[in-house]
Amino acid sequence: MSDKPARAIKLNVLNEPKDSYTGGPSSLCPGCGHDQISSVIINAAWENGIEPHRIAKMSGIGCSSKTPAYYLGQSHGFNTVHGRMPSVTTGAYAINKDLLYLGVSGDGDSASIGIGQLIHAIRRNMDMVYVLENNGVYGLTKGQYSATADVGSKKKKGAINETQPIDLCAMAINLGCTFVARSFSGSKKQLTSLIKAAMSHKGFALIDVISPCVTFNNNDESMRSYGYVKENEITLHMADYIPHFNPVAEIEVPEGHFRDITLHDGSTIRLETISEEHDPADAMAALTALHEAETTKKHVTGLLYFDPSKPSLAEDLGLVDQALIDVPDEELRPSKASLDALNAEFLA
Amino acid sequence: MERIVNDFTINIATANGTGSQSANLILLQSLFDMGVPVSGKNLFPSNISGLPTWYIVRLSDQGYQAPGDRTHIQILVNPATWEEDLAALEPGSVVIWNSDTKKKTVDREDIISYPVPMSSLARKINPKIAKLVTNIIYVGVLAEMLDIDQECLEGAVAKQFKGKDTAIELNITALGLGRDYCKEHLVKEDPYGAEKRTVEKPQFFIEGNEAAALGAHYGGAQLLAWYPITPSSSLAENIINYIPRLRTDEEGNATCAVIQAEDELAAAGMVLGAGWAGGRGMTATSGPGISLMQEFIGLAYFAEIPSVFWDVTRVGPSTGLPTRTQQSDIAMLYEGSHGDTQHIVLMPGTVEECFEFGWRAFDYTERFQTPVFGMSDLDLGMNRWACEGFTYPDIPMDRGKVVREKDVFEAFETFGRYLDVDGDGIPYRTLPGSGMAPILYRGTGHNPMGVYSEKPEDYFNLMARLKVKIDNARDQLPAPILREEEECEVGIIFLGSMENSIQEIDDILEDTGMKVSQCRVRALPLHSEVEEFIRRHEVVIVLEINRDGQLYGILRRELPNDLVTKVHSVAYSDGMPPRARIYAERILAALEEVKQ
Repeated sequence: MSDKPARAIKLNVLNEPKDSYTGGPSSLCPGCGHDQISSVIINAAWENGIEPHRIAKMSGIGCSSKTPAYYLGQSHGFNTVHGRMPSVTTGAYAINKDLLYLGVSGDGDSASIGIGQLIHAIRRNMDMVYVLENNGVYGLTKGQYSATADVGSKKKKGAINETQPIDLCAMAINLGCTFVARSFSGSKKQLTSLIKAAMSHKGFALIDVISPCVTFNNNDESMRSYGYVKENEITLHMADYIPHFNPVAEIEVPEGHFRDITLHDGSTIRLETISEEHDPADAMAALTALHEAETTKKHVTGLLYFDPSKPSLAEDLGLVDQALIDVPDEELRPSKASLDALNAEFLA
Repeated sequence: MERIVNDFTINIATANGTGSQSANLILLQSLFDMGVPVSGKNLFPSNISGLPTWYIVRLSDQGYQAPGDRTHIQILVNPATWEEDLAALEPGSVVIWNSDTKKKTVDREDIISYPVPMSSLARKINPKIAKLVTNIIYVGVLAEMLDIDQECLEGAVAKQFKGKDTAIELNITALGLGRDYCKEHLVKEDPYGAEKRTVEKPQFFIEGNEAAALGAHYGGAQLLAWYPITPSSSLAENIINYIPRLRTDEEGNATCAVIQAEDELAAAGMVLGAGWAGGRGMTATSGPGISLMQEFIGLAYFAEIPSVFWDVTRVGPSTGLPTRTQQSDIAMLYEGSHGDTQHIVLMPGTVEECFEFGWRAFDYTERFQTPVFGMSDLDLGMNRWACEGFTYPDIPMDRGKVVREKDVFEAFETFGRYLDVDGDGIPYRTLPGSGMAPILYRGTGHNPMGVYSEKPEDYFNLMARLKVKIDNARDQLPAPILREEEECEVGIIFLGSMENSIQEIDDILEDTGMKVSQCRVRALPLHSEVEEFIRRHEVVIVLEINRDGQLYGILRRELPNDLVTKVHSVAYSDGMPPRARIYAERILAALEEVKQ
């Protein structure tokens, strides 16, 4: 018998260890911002004391959409088709409104092929958390620009992006989305509190998380970083080479301030945390903040807009109080007497 | 002149948006209430107002429901198609025409002409709605000419305008004006008349879409996700309309959710979401919608998600003829989505079956954990058909292999979402929220435990099991309806709404001396009885309302080699509901070819 004292395992309010909220090992590129978001999701669910089996993990197609395999292993999930996670979630929600729907999506999913579904889920105020892992590129197909890529941004191969990006936060605010936030994959503290708040929100909560791609977001300068490899191994295909990075260091920016963050490839992005004075009930102020950030080449983070007053989809559907999944079969099928009455009326 | 009773066709040419549909339905209903076997076909344009519409009413003591070979009585109200409609008539036909129509007349000597100043008569009642009333005037004229029972006529008006007393009164007055004009100014020169018949079993008229909608409710549908499209919209709308009566508690809360989706893709996604969560979800659409849903159909097949799709088919390809009928989605439904797939397709041929398959579709989709299609068509879905009544489901809802209780779950030695425990290809599933054996459902390759896999044996075994699962469904699905002659000379295999034309086709063929058996296929994959039917017959014709013989193609591929040579395709479609003579002549030509 060892006389070492057992290490105390931290438990949440449900007496569950954090292990109950973890998933399988990630197959994303080492250092990917998406993995940091996964760990934040694990933390948020654990700290919020949500029973893991009461969460439904939803996703579309892409690097981000693979991540539900890496967190909440005790939750059912559905890795659906490209850009169409919102509709599948909506159908599931109609049947079982008692689950917490946690959607994870990417910018390919949400800003291109599935932008219509995102818009309509917002329009219905579908009760879900929608984490958008936004890196401006298509990773799984090896580095094409997405519709959120900034003008002037450079990828590893090919031309500078000159097409106007879509700001999904601005779009969501204009659509009347009831919870709109922006964050950064490295801002663990801010992101945790935003996801925790979103989990408690009744309605559609969009969190646009800037999550730089470590492999395909490299600009020309970064190519120098593996110039050695290029020069010494002629046969190596650049597109197959996945550099290893450590995750971006944790970063917290005080409210009302900004800070430049250096990414793996040496480029920087400027993160600004929205000031304490910002009133999230003020849509115009939120849009102004987004606009000003854009013109000064910053990314403004924090809870931008919040409106808890709108009814969520559940109230619009006019359904019985219990989730439809719990309604017994005999109550789903109308009685024989009701059919006899219909037949009689038709014959009359 | 010999009287021709209950055996002729009336063609009514009007413009859409003028209220002619109500007038035509009143005519149809009053004949039906006299006990006359009658059918009505609405040939309408894809338009809100002003384009030509024809309504074909066929009276047939033999019970023939296809549009007849020719028009016997033509109603001419629409100047736009006047000359065309007039020229198409055979000598001896009757024309009842609106003599107030500017610059139009009836100048054929070889037809019986009844001019009626319909617009002036209508203006007498109410000049503001003269256009609407014009239509009911011709019904009044017809009523007098054909001797339609006044009580039945008034009853039909009351049914059409349920509870709207002013409308009922106005229409009855207008019918009277039509009748009176006829009595005072016209002399009957034609042989046609309607006579009352005693009906053995009382019947009512109903559209296939309404029947399928009711069926869905008696199947306990929990979610309707839909996007409007002709000719399926009335299926969805009937589901919605019956919710307050059939699916709502005392407080007005429903057990069936309805979401009008942003497009067909989203509608399909919602149906899958419902099935994944353990509920009964469905959509109603037409061919173009199914085209858009292909990606989700493949996901439902591969991830084994219960989901019900009703396809009320119309004429394709592309936008095609949106308001005309065709059976051209058979192949697309059976093999929907990319990759190797095979789907269950239910093919009702009557309104009773629309109801029955409406509820059974949910049982099948949950039993086999695979998408199930209901395939109706515009003719069956949007026209009215006689019905003796709907039969209440004789079995409880089949929810399939869903593990809901912890103790049942724990009794499994190993639980894998895609593990074939019973050898029937159907695995067990647990539901989100249960906490039992959670997995991440996916459209990517997976092993029996539901974990991502690219291993050759995992992929091969999965596809083989799916094949076994669907193959096993064959004889659990609705069996074909057989009407066989002892001689087993010629067999006809057909499906769906061709049911309404088949007896007339059969009679035309038997008039030439051959003996014809019928086999109406009601589901895919094909029941084993279909093969037996083919084996018993010398020659088999596969009759379809499309160009390419899609059902024939499926049979050719799936039949044993020795039977393939027996089977011949007769496929034809021009957008019109199948007229018996056209198909009968093509069958005769095909049989002639076989002989040579």
